Amino acid sequence: MDKSARVPHTVDGLKETVVIWGAELRRAVRSGRAMVLLGLYSMFSALVLLVVGWLASEVRAAVNARLAEAGAGGEEASARIAEEMRKGVLGFLTSNDTAMIEALAQVPVEVLLVFKITLFFLPAYVALMGFDQLSGEVGPRSIRYLTVRARRSSVLLGKFLSQASMLLGLVLIIDLAVFIYARIANPDFGFAAMSLNLLKFWLAAIVFSLSYVALTTLCSALFRAPAVSLVFNFIMLFVFWLMDTVGRAVGEESVLHFLRYLSPSYYAGNLLHPGLAQFGASGAAYAAFATLFIMCAYVTLRARDL
Amino acid sequence: MSDLAIELFGVSKRFGPKVAVDNVSLQVPLGVVYGLIGPNGAGKTTTFSMMCGYLYPSDGTVKVMDVDPTTPGALKGRLGALPQDAILPPGWDVGALLMYWARLSGLDNPEREARAALEKVGLLEAWKVQTQALSHGMAKRAAMAQALMGTPPLVLLDEPTAGLDPRIAAQVRQVIRDMKGKQTVVVSSHNLQELEELCDAAAILDKGALAQAGSMSELTGQDAEFRVQIARGTVIPPELTTMPDVTDARMEGEHVLVVRFSAKALPEEVISRVVGHLLGHGVLILGVSRGQRLEDRVLQLL
Repeated sequence: MDKSARVPHTVDGLKETVVIWGAELRRAVRSGRAMVLLGLYSMFSALVLLVVGWLASEVRAAVNARLAEAGAGGEEASARIAEEMRKGVLGFLTSNDTAMIEALAQVPVEVLLVFKITLFFLPAYVALMGFDQLSGEVGPRSIRYLTVRARRSSVLLGKFLSQASMLLGLVLIIDLAVFIYARIANPDFGFAAMSLNLLKFWLAAIVFSLSYVALTTLCSALFRAPAVSLVFNFIMLFVFWLMDTVGRAVGEESVLHFLRYLSPSYYAGNLLHPGLAQFGASGAAYAAFATLFIMCAYVTLRARDL
Repeated sequence: MSDLAIELFGVSKRFGPKVAVDNVSLQVPLGVVYGLIGPNGAGKTTTFSMMCGYLYPSDGTVKVMDVDPTTPGALKGRLGALPQDAILPPGWDVGALLMYWARLSGLDNPEREARAALEKVGLLEAWKVQTQALSHGMAKRAAMAQALMGTPPLVLLDEPTAGLDPRIAAQVRQVIRDMKGKQTVVVSSHNLQELEELCDAAAILDKGALAQAGSMSELTGQDAEFRVQIARGTVIPPELTTMPDVTDARMEGEHVLVVRFSAKALPEEVISRVVGHLLGHGVLILGVSRGQRLEDRVLQLL
């Protein structure tokens, strides 16, 4: 294709992508599945919040009881121990990175724990949300109605963007709810700190999950049967988790430790880092994974019979 | 720009060891209604799917409106297609779905196009009906409507009347008739009577291979033979073969005389001469028909 024809071709492709993105997003929002997924995600986050809150209060009560027994009671000692505990948990969650500990000092520890735990399960949630985005159209061949009027690349990107947009909205709703709860439960957690951290946490979750949305798009492009796409998606998530876990567990001297670099979850640690370089490196890794998965999905969809 | 809407050259399609289409070459001129004929498993839908760019040929080349149909965006706005077994996506109102697709086709007024297309197939009342609630016939018509939106120069219809009640099937046939001369239409169907009535030309496929292709008169032999139904009297075929332009004459059963004639001859002259001869020899005639029915021709070939 010559240069003069390439520009309108690209513009037309972008227009198609936007039309598919908008239409698929409207359908997804109106469908019952969006509400079910929002309900599931909310319930899960609430459960984590409750369990973490209950554990924290139990530990606090036990420590206070011990202090009282040892005759070292008093609010000052209790507060000091609570702060030490908090630092311990923060250190554990941030791999003792002092810059991160400082940056997250104002964030209630429950919020951090909920964030970490929900982040672990977010890829599974993403898989449930979009496993049939392409296979659900290729199997019953309804994709044929689209491909006579739009490029396969536009169909792929439009579907990916609609999934990503829906996730963006759902994660924002849940994060907002968790932060509002944290603000009510912790009066010291000011409005400005809440808003800033909400934005940071939301951005981190989005950067993290976009690569998994792309992975789900790839799994959906690989198969005609939605159920097979879903199972394969979960297998991929397990393999990535295993690679990260094995890579971390073995010593640096083992070749296997390189495995962790091939797993997206390895790069999650620095998503809340205040340093632009650290956050940028993590973000770049996720962008690279997302691009790789989308490219593979496109090659698969482009080459296949519909 | 050539005067061909579709050109297949040496096209084959294999699914693993199974050869669905085997070395098919055919040409569909612009502006005609063209039929794809053949029994189940003949390769009609596979050929149709390659024309639409859904399937890649294993061998050979397919050109649709002068372009490779698998080239991204190449046929946008130039092709309307009714795939045979594609299900309408669930969760949409029919009107909203058609508007979405019209927008995707880049049509100026999506709502007007969607309404006009639904009206053509008599389904305007289903504007607000969810796609999963449509009956088979309604879904078929909604799918047909999407192929008609924007009046594309080429419309491919795979089994457009299958499963429709006779009244709706007649309506769909009328829609195809209305497109004649304005758009190129390719129709795949089992209904040979329907195709004979609608099509200017056709290709007969059998077991993936092309059995014959040509204009409808070529296929049915309208310009090469006629049948005379005899009521009473004795016909002596050898007498007829001595007449100018008559190449063959034989009785098909007791009461049907089949006469073949030279392709260069004018049919009306040969028919008149033969009928005159028969009447002159005391033979009484019930009727004369040109060629043979498409169904008979297909049965003869397959």
